[in-house]
Amino acid sequence: MHLGIVKMIGRRILIALPILGVVSVLLFVVLRLLPVDPAAMSMAPNATLEEIAAKRIEMGLDRSLPEQYAIWIGRVLQGDFGTSSHFRRPVIGLVVETLPQTIELVALGIVVATVLGLAGGLWMFHVRGTYQEPVVDFGSTLLMSIPEFLWALFFILLFGVALELLPFVGRLSATYSRPNATGFLLFDALAVGRIDIFLDALRHMVLPALALGIAFAPSIMRVLRSSLLDVYHEDYIHQARLRGIPERTLLTRHALKNAILPTLSLMGVQFGFMFGGTLLVEVIYSYPGMGNLMVDAVRNADLPIIQAVGLTYAAIVLVINTVVDALYLVLNPKLRAAA
Amino acid sequence: MTIKRRSILQAAALGAAGASLPLGQLLAQARDSVTIAWPTDVPSWDPNQRTVPDAQPIYKLVFDQPIFQQPDLTFGPGLFKTWKLSDDGLAFEVEMRDDVTFHDGSKMTAEDFRYSFYERVQAKHAIDVANIWRRVTDIEVHSPTKATMRFGSPYPTAAPWLGFMASYIVPKAYMERVGVEGFREKPIGSGPYRLVEYQLNSRMVLERNDAYWGPKPELRRIIVNVVRDPAARAAAVESGQADVTVNVTVRDAERLARVPTLEAELVPITRLVLLQCRNTGVFNDENVRLAAHHAIDKTALSRAIYGGAAVPLSAPVTPGAPSFEPDFKFDFDVAKAQQLLARSGFNPQNPAKLKMFTTNGHFSGDFDVARAIAQMWRRVGIEAEVEVIEYAKYFELNRGNQLPEVTVYSWDNATGDPEIYAGYMLNPNLPFSAWKEEEIGKMVTALFATTDFAKRIEGYKALQRHAVNKGATIPLLQSIITVARRKPLQMTKYGNGWVLGSTMKWG
Repeated sequence: MHLGIVKMIGRRILIALPILGVVSVLLFVVLRLLPVDPAAMSMAPNATLEEIAAKRIEMGLDRSLPEQYAIWIGRVLQGDFGTSSHFRRPVIGLVVETLPQTIELVALGIVVATVLGLAGGLWMFHVRGTYQEPVVDFGSTLLMSIPEFLWALFFILLFGVALELLPFVGRLSATYSRPNATGFLLFDALAVGRIDIFLDALRHMVLPALALGIAFAPSIMRVLRSSLLDVYHEDYIHQARLRGIPERTLLTRHALKNAILPTLSLMGVQFGFMFGGTLLVEVIYSYPGMGNLMVDAVRNADLPIIQAVGLTYAAIVLVINTVVDALYLVLNPKLRAAA
Repeated sequence: MTIKRRSILQAAALGAAGASLPLGQLLAQARDSVTIAWPTDVPSWDPNQRTVPDAQPIYKLVFDQPIFQQPDLTFGPGLFKTWKLSDDGLAFEVEMRDDVTFHDGSKMTAEDFRYSFYERVQAKHAIDVANIWRRVTDIEVHSPTKATMRFGSPYPTAAPWLGFMASYIVPKAYMERVGVEGFREKPIGSGPYRLVEYQLNSRMVLERNDAYWGPKPELRRIIVNVVRDPAARAAAVESGQADVTVNVTVRDAERLARVPTLEAELVPITRLVLLQCRNTGVFNDENVRLAAHHAIDKTALSRAIYGGAAVPLSAPVTPGAPSFEPDFKFDFDVAKAQQLLARSGFNPQNPAKLKMFTTNGHFSGDFDVARAIAQMWRRVGIEAEVEVIEYAKYFELNRGNQLPEVTVYSWDNATGDPEIYAGYMLNPNLPFSAWKEEEIGKMVTALFATTDFAKRIEGYKALQRHAVNKGATIPLLQSIITVARRKPLQMTKYGNGWVLGSTMKWG
């Protein structure tokens, strides 16, 4: 790996640690300010006030806020996110069980958003200045203005109910048992040589991934189009054209390479948001990921889960940003040299 | 791992074939199984752990209860053949069946009963059973099938509680061998189905227990998919991706009922919708409380929000329950409401101002009920500020005396016993009660210790009337559940709303 990239990753990690620290403080303090008593939430509704008071002491809730935070973060650093008040199970186990599923979904969502975004961006660029431009422009605006959960419901009604083409409940059909190894179902299915399970799982992911991806594609389209427009005003494009290079080669080998960099930046930010988009999409599609877990935790005021999932989301966004920056360096020799 | 090109092509062909057939048709091929779209997951596979009403129909497939509640709400033999509460209410003698085995083939005995309801509590397992059965001082085991429960104070409702939430018998030897965590991972019970696959927040696959001691279920396999979104549940049944579901919106239920291949109905159950009242602010004034009650047109609420299926209630008890009094009526009377408010100096120009909490989406129509009542009240001179809260916050706010004058609430009581209606609702010493008052508190405390059934029921009838006539509670409607299923799936209807896979059959 190029030294510049290694240095950049090192710098990113150094910055990420204090950011995660700040996020952890915010999460902890904000949740403690809510009118919810974690001790009471962890007990039966008919628990007496005395039993709840005893539980508060047992959970360390009688101590000052800084003390409580110190205890909590100390445990988190050892991989102990506490016990869920609803499930009464260690939170780390719940996160480990659900995170791979969400990563798989977001990965497919990214593929959908990238394919649609790049194809749409190129199309928008291609029809610039023609009568089709305002139509395509209107279409992309329309796509952008519809939130993920509406897409999710629309796809269920269209592909699930009206056309009966695709499943929209859970991750696998009733006839299949889930192979369990890494938690990544697609990978696990391939690992045990079950292509049928792989395809079935993939079919179950099509609609949620489409709902996630389609909401993010329009931004990619628009940025790619405007980047291409900018690049096409550069001298080297004119010179290349004068040299007689065909338009298609001009686009794919010269313009696109430079125009993709701002698009990549945007995609980095967008994909961070995509994890947030999983909250409602996973609930609507009964998809057993971390978004579903988070919504459940909010409903049950299950603070240990909310804190753990919140921190995990923050860490994921930081990782994605680092990966995008690394890709930036890989694609841009100028930046690589500067790094 | 080796993946051959041929297998990829074969699978792709299969997948393509599958994709070309309507899903409903594919799923309908297996008629010895049923797929249920259920709104919630179980909080854990330890059935003693949490008192979550929606989890009970799932638990009842895998685990058995000492006493079985029947569809008509009466209690009959289950794992217990007989039981008897002593006259002083301090001892509960039971005789268990001798032909019950757990899913691992081990025999169930009275030791398992003792373990589930006493030893686990002593061992400080984090289970709600510890709160429900805190009065148990010991369970004496006389033989493998005979035992006596001892209580520290009279427990007249021991029998209904043994057929209610979290009261399941778990295998002592197995749980001690694998530990609580191990049990949650691989639970075994004595119920009609065995759990063969579980994925958190997604699905449960259950296979028939052919060695079951009770009536054999018709279906070999039950798949429960957790589908939280009501619109997705309705779509799942409509498209054939589920055979049955519950708690879709009333509008969806009415729409699905018109689909020729489906059946959908609105079923009244032992749950009720009420306004939990607190004697604070303008609700310290009895005139305002009674006016608030008289001003609510419950029939109109039922018609507008529940398709007319929710029965208007005058007392906090549902029809069919022992303390229900069909002749007791609290009238909808706008003139009377205005008269009562005028006595306290309030009118539409100078309204009594109060706050009303409600959940939004916790139960069907909750927020709509709050908004409609606020409208009805405005006409007579009560101005309600409606605020949405999360259900999880209700108990915390109640414990901290932070609830406002009224809160729209759904009260669940599968047993139908009046103690778990008016008793828990109005006992100022319990966290369920928003109304805190000494006089009512004394009445309830006395009833909690009354062991004679007939006397107890009469006492609760009097308490219900008293509480309603002084405005300590404002019951609104009998709740309904919506059930939508594919034809010709049949199942037993339970008065408490249970939808049990073990009673389902095709045709």
